[in-house]
Amino acid sequence: MKKRMFIVLALVATLVVGLSAQKKLTVWCWDPNFNVYAMKQAALVYNKTHPDVNIEVVDMAQDIEAKIISGLQAGGAGLPDIALFQDFRIEQFLQDYPNAFVDLKAAGVDYSKFAAYKVGPMTVGNHVYGIPFDTGSTGLWLRTDYIKEAGLNPDNYAGKKLTWSEVIKLGVQVKAKTGKPLLAYQSDNFDMLRIVVQSTGGQFFNTDGSLNLRSDAFKKSLTLFKELNDKGLLYPVVGWSDWINAINSDQAAGFLNAIWMVGSVKSRPENAGKYMIIPTPKIEGVPGASNASNNGGSSWYVFSSSPNKALAVDFLKSVWATTTPDTLAFYNDILKGAGAMGTYLPSQQGSNYTARDSFFYKNQAIYHDFATWMANVPVLRYTPNYVPMRDAVAHATLNYFQGKLKTVDETIAAAESEYKQVMGQ
Amino acid sequence: MAQRGTYQRYLNRFGWFCVTPAMVLFSLFMLYPIVSSLYYVTRRWKGMSNTFIGLGNFVRMAHDQVFQGALANNFIFMVIQIPIMIFLALMLAVLLNQGIRRFRGPLRLAIFLPAVTSLVVVSVLFRVLLQQNGMLNNVLLDAHLITTPIGWLNDAFWAKVTIILAMTWRWTGYNMVFFLVGLQSIDTEIYEAAEVDGASKFRQLFSITIPLLMPVILFSLVTSTSGTMQLFDEPNILTWQGGPANATMTAALYIYRQAFFVNADFGYATAMSYVVVLISGIFAIVQMRLLGERKAK
Amino acid sequence: MSMVRNWSIGRVLILVILLGAAAISIFPFIWMIVGMTLNPNDVLKGILVPGPEFASNWNKATTSYNLPVFFFNSLKIALLTVIFGLVVNGLAAYGFEKHQSKARDKVFGVLLLTLIIPQIALVIPMFRMFAFFRLLNTHAAIILPSIMSVFIIFFMRQNFKMFPTEIMEAARVDGASEFGIFVRIVTPSMQATYASAAIYLFLGQWNSYLWPLITILSDEKKTLPIAMASMMSAYTIEYGALMVIVCISVLPVLVLFLAMQKQFVAGLLGSVK
Repeated sequence: MKKRMFIVLALVATLVVGLSAQKKLTVWCWDPNFNVYAMKQAALVYNKTHPDVNIEVVDMAQDIEAKIISGLQAGGAGLPDIALFQDFRIEQFLQDYPNAFVDLKAAGVDYSKFAAYKVGPMTVGNHVYGIPFDTGSTGLWLRTDYIKEAGLNPDNYAGKKLTWSEVIKLGVQVKAKTGKPLLAYQSDNFDMLRIVVQSTGGQFFNTDGSLNLRSDAFKKSLTLFKELNDKGLLYPVVGWSDWINAINSDQAAGFLNAIWMVGSVKSRPENAGKYMIIPTPKIEGVPGASNASNNGGSSWYVFSSSPNKALAVDFLKSVWATTTPDTLAFYNDILKGAGAMGTYLPSQQGSNYTARDSFFYKNQAIYHDFATWMANVPVLRYTPNYVPMRDAVAHATLNYFQGKLKTVDETIAAAESEYKQVMGQ
Repeated sequence: MAQRGTYQRYLNRFGWFCVTPAMVLFSLFMLYPIVSSLYYVTRRWKGMSNTFIGLGNFVRMAHDQVFQGALANNFIFMVIQIPIMIFLALMLAVLLNQGIRRFRGPLRLAIFLPAVTSLVVVSVLFRVLLQQNGMLNNVLLDAHLITTPIGWLNDAFWAKVTIILAMTWRWTGYNMVFFLVGLQSIDTEIYEAAEVDGASKFRQLFSITIPLLMPVILFSLVTSTSGTMQLFDEPNILTWQGGPANATMTAALYIYRQAFFVNADFGYATAMSYVVVLISGIFAIVQMRLLGERKAK
Repeated sequence: MSMVRNWSIGRVLILVILLGAAAISIFPFIWMIVGMTLNPNDVLKGILVPGPEFASNWNKATTSYNLPVFFFNSLKIALLTVIFGLVVNGLAAYGFEKHQSKARDKVFGVLLLTLIIPQIALVIPMFRMFAFFRLLNTHAAIILPSIMSVFIIFFMRQNFKMFPTEIMEAARVDGASEFGIFVRIVTPSMQATYASAAIYLFLGQWNSYLWPLITILSDEKKTLPIAMASMMSAYTIEYGALMVIVCISVLPVLVLFLAMQKQFVAGLLGSVK
């Protein structure tokens, strides 16, 4: 009943839209080289059939969630129609603001066609709220020019499933010859630690949602990080933009991150031909450890407060969750254009999934590689409290690096106690 | 006589007419927030709902080392930055006032110039200048003063130094102008008399200049203290959300983050702001007392 | 003889210290002006030789970042705050000073007490209030709370003290209304005070960050400080365009300062007498 109502509403809305003058949709997302680009492409596709809809894609800063919290607290004032949420952040919003988002399952989205792990965090009971966007399959990005400068042959590493100790050996050699630390590293950021822990199949939370930082995987990962730091293999910066800047001004010989970095790396023409991406290194001595991991990944949501709900839903559905030649071509384009690997399963047969990319070292077929690695990624549990956990662990890790905390156990204890304090537990 | 009473009433009414617009705005944007905060402070927020928890927010605060660390940072900035800045401002003012005649105007103008920038601009400028591969590190490396770049933004200690540098750059010239105004009001005959008595320049500085400038120094102390208690723009923009690892987290920033950034925990944030008000109040009273005593002398 | 004394070691040292302080103070200004003409990497390196990128930086600042919108938002908000602020606070200061009564003195005392309350303690209830009235994400939300300033009332009251009451009495004898006295006689002779108060109000609003950060959500409502701050927290920073916006945001204040140095300093110093 509800479903049918919605379809009728959507139809009426599209009719009204067709008849009336320009309708406007506003979308908030955050990376001009990545999801902003992808959404602008999506708007072009929609405009082919709906030329009267003006879709404005706004490049938000990293306080996008703060702005959304303010807007939700104010009953929707100032909010856009559609926003992109990190998968790790959405559970908090669905819990704290249960009526803030439009139920898209009720609006007829077929979720069996999306990767199951993406649908989990956006599901509450029988309701599903988002349109899954991208996957964050990770790899080790290496600058072949610096590897050569260090007297090594990049081809000996290409496609190899390395262990971290092999990576450290490589890093030490590169650093000795070129002076470049192996990895650009955000010293206040959790991403890299998450990648390493997730590659082992480890979790930060138990199934009941309680914090679990005492796993062997987590301890071994911290020890590894300390070693990387102490051997001078990390180039430390604070903040995302400074990290991108470090990468694009040749401060390090590589970094560990996801496929969606393609856009940022390609944004600088001088990077052409230099990067090679190999599987995420494996951590030794942890059962279940693999050469694959994930970072990031986000999805689109429609606010209930939007006056153009039906139109917003129709836009998302008809571009992001429909199998037409136009939409499949669109998914294929954003893969190569920005490294946006969609999680809409029918889209994963596109030609770019096997294509070589001349921007990378020896025309590596990076999309094929990332997709292959993706198949082996263990699923990470986020819970609504991911952000306080993330910050607490990042803070403790930095203090461990800088010698304020002496051991792994002290570091874990510090992270646990900051988590409790910030959560008010 | 009756007429005079009516006239007085007319004058009195006009007096109220004058102050009413301001009082309406004051009630809306000062009194109402203060009164309604009494409600918020007793509640715990979670999303759109909230529950009464009495003094629970204060209990939570007592265990919250992040907040305590943030308050401690406010004190560190206060105790280190303010004396450095006042010393520099005083020195520059004295040198400008007594040391030279020529170029006094342009020099004063130049040193005051940072005061025209907003705190946001200061934060932006310093954040760019102090990058790991930024200007200052390059200069220091080229001059062989350091061998590895200083982590101005990502080392817990240096990040504090960074905040202090930025604040000092922004406010020294501003305070110097205060002191110059004060210096100009000191009678030159006092110095002439001291000269006759054979007092050295240093002697004059400590027994004449500084004591006579004390009211101005205290005034600048009061405003700087209250400014430092509210420190927000710099740690949020310059050292990136109070980073690294909360090393530059301040009370105001932590309150903002609890209320508008990570959660919407208005209750806990209000409780913390009570503590900030209390501390600011104590500082203000102590300093006003000092100022008052000076004036009484 | 006098030349030698003028250029003694002490003098040279003093001049060197002062020149050093002046250089440190001015350097970031030169750097940010030159930065407008450089590509992002050269901005970071701190190159002080102008480059060829001004046109493209300007383009980015005005097209990808809506600089004109931010600028006029800031200008509109600051000017409206100044106009309303001068009227409301000037009138109040006049009322408190020249029409004293016990009740109003008490009110004034309450006003002064609130000077110690930091802004962060007020923003939460204010946010809830503006959300309730559906005024979030509007410029009214920024302007309304900053019109009344206890500090400005205090500062203007101090200055009204110096206005001779005899002149007011004389005007009354001539049959002038109280409002007429304020508007036609007192206000015109207090131009310097109004100018200083205007500068103070303008600076406060032009530079304000915390409250607009909380109230403004969408791009087209942003002011310059909010725009700069969000550029700094964007995923990719365009340093060249950033320098253009920084310079544009400093320019009006700089012009104001150079044109009205005396009132500017008086406005900043307020009541330090």
